[in-house]
Amino acid sequence: MEIKYTIQGLLIYMTIAAYLLAFVTTLLRRPKSGHFLYLLGFAIAVCSFGYRWYHVRHVPLQNLFEVFLCLGMIYPVSLFCRRVLRVGSDAADMLIGAIVLFPAGFIFHADPQQLPPALQSWLFIPHVAAYMFSYIFMLMATFQAFCQLAGINPKPGENLLSPEESTYRIICMGFPLLTLGLILGSYWGKLAWGDYWGWDPKELWSLASWLVFLGYLHFRYMFGKKHPRINSLWAIAGMAVIIITLLWVNLSRIFSGLHSYAT
Amino acid sequence: MHKYRRTIMWLGLLLIIVLTVLSIYGAFIGAERAEHFFNQPPLAVFWMALATLLIVGIAAFRRLVRIPGLLLMHAGCVLILAGGMWGSHAGHNLQKKLFRIDKIHSGRMAIYEGSSDNRVALDGTREQKELPFSLKLKDFRIEYYQPVYLRIQTHQGRQWKIPVEVGKEFPLGDEAGTIKIVKAYENFKVGMEEGKSAPFDDPSPGSNPALEVQITEPNGQAATQYVFERFPGHSHNQGKFSLSYHRVISDYISELQIVEGDKIVAEKDIEVNHPLRFGGYHFYQSSYDDKAGQYTVLQVVSDTGLYVVYAGYWMLCIGVIWHLWLRHIFKRIQSKYK
Ligand code: HEM
Repeated sequence: MEIKYTIQGLLIYMTIAAYLLAFVTTLLRRPKSGHFLYLLGFAIAVCSFGYRWYHVRHVPLQNLFEVFLCLGMIYPVSLFCRRVLRVGSDAADMLIGAIVLFPAGFIFHADPQQLPPALQSWLFIPHVAAYMFSYIFMLMATFQAFCQLAGINPKPGENLLSPEESTYRIICMGFPLLTLGLILGSYWGKLAWGDYWGWDPKELWSLASWLVFLGYLHFRYMFGKKHPRINSLWAIAGMAVIIITLLWVNLSRIFSGLHSYAT
Repeated sequence: MHKYRRTIMWLGLLLIIVLTVLSIYGAFIGAERAEHFFNQPPLAVFWMALATLLIVGIAAFRRLVRIPGLLLMHAGCVLILAGGMWGSHAGHNLQKKLFRIDKIHSGRMAIYEGSSDNRVALDGTREQKELPFSLKLKDFRIEYYQPVYLRIQTHQGRQWKIPVEVGKEFPLGDEAGTIKIVKAYENFKVGMEEGKSAPFDDPSPGSNPALEVQITEPNGQAATQYVFERFPGHSHNQGKFSLSYHRVISDYISELQIVEGDKIVAEKDIEVNHPLRFGGYHFYQSSYDDKAGQYTVLQVVSDTGLYVVYAGYWMLCIGVIWHLWLRHIFKRIQSKYK
């Protein structure tokens, strides 16, 4: 945990604050002000990313700090979900925006890093980016799953799908990205370490999270909307395994493995 | 759904759940034990069952054949499983029994600079085996991120980070004076010259990187110090500064040649993330002689089954993306222009 007393840090904290304010304002039933704050947060996030770009003089997607910084510009993804997928939950998206910026603001170092040899590969960015985007979709799906369990439905005039259908649709969006992340990681492992599968804890957790969503897709194919609660629990379980994959293995150092440098 | 189709589907779901649980179990026991665990005979049965069920599923559900995305995904998974099993340790042993293909599964080889070798120490045993060709190491080198920096710190906590440029003088402010790097050594040694000890850069094998630094105080008094990369803190300083010299490795490179008989048939500089492929094997930069930089250690891995797995990867990726994304996008575009 570190607080960044820099312009970069300030921009990140301002974005987080704007997203959180937007979240609270939306919950207090002021959707217009909430949306304005969300847009404001997005604008600061873009400045923050641009500032980083100017500062390091290359596309800032070299390390996890920069990837999370990029993910902080979540607004277009929410817009896409709402307009194209007809899945919406503005308040949740704002909170997710703040959550993904948290690691950039407080966990990862912002020093421009010199990458160790194994990380110098064209696969680094696509592998990490595919995973991060899939995680955002899965987070949104999990939120919808919770809405389903809590019986929260969109208002009739909003032209949005029910939470159960929303969960399914967003998982269908995120699953190919999850698959891509896993396969790119495996291909990279082959180039860097000589094996496409090393049975390393991080790999096994990521396989487990992929399998949980695979199970979800098959279960939903078998039963459709007959057991909406089980469908939702399945999605939530997937997210739980993703969180373990992402945080537990990296941060707890309980398992030491090949991926431990990724912290 | 027909009863037997439903059974297949349930079995598929069951195997997916079992594999999830096994993966989580594997994550708890660490990579080495997990590798052993997943390669045991009972697990081989599990892998076979999963692959068989996928094939049975493809045969039983017409939609899995008719819908291209679904076919690609499920058949892709069959290929991944088949390629993985064929390329495993057990797969290699089986090929030896059935087809007398005697290939090394994986191992390591150490090669000295200027010499060639074909002996591979097999992983997990004490055995050695020979490759049908030799590898010659022309040169092994380590590259560092440039510029390399010398860090200077006063006891009051002031810090400087100056690039290592021999001969250039850097001001450290009015109170501290100036600093100059006089010489950079790769292999610092001390010899005797005219009855006095004198440092020199030893060209013979060995590595002891060091910097000779001259600090000139504001009053004009100059002092020489040596800073060693391998012995941080071991610099003869007069108490005012502490100096440190640390280079960040950017790459390990082995310049290799493949020799068959006495002909050179291939040549490649391998580095991390850029292996050499030859004769059914992949060669990776794995380790090196960290004392003198005289030999390199390569990891040797058989490529049996690998391209089957890669084909499966492509099919799985294209299948999932087609079935869950592109199909819908095309449908939307079509309905727009109808
Ligand atoms: C183990 C045996 C398996 C069986 C018997 C099986 C069977 C099926 C069946 C019958 C469907 C429904 C197709 C339809 O929409 O009509 C399906 C869907 C699907 N399967 Fe499998 N499958 C198995 C394993 C796998 C594996 C290992 C993968 C890995 C990629 C996979 C990926 C998928 C996906 C992504 C769908 C699409 C789900 C959807 O459209 O909602 N399946 N599977």
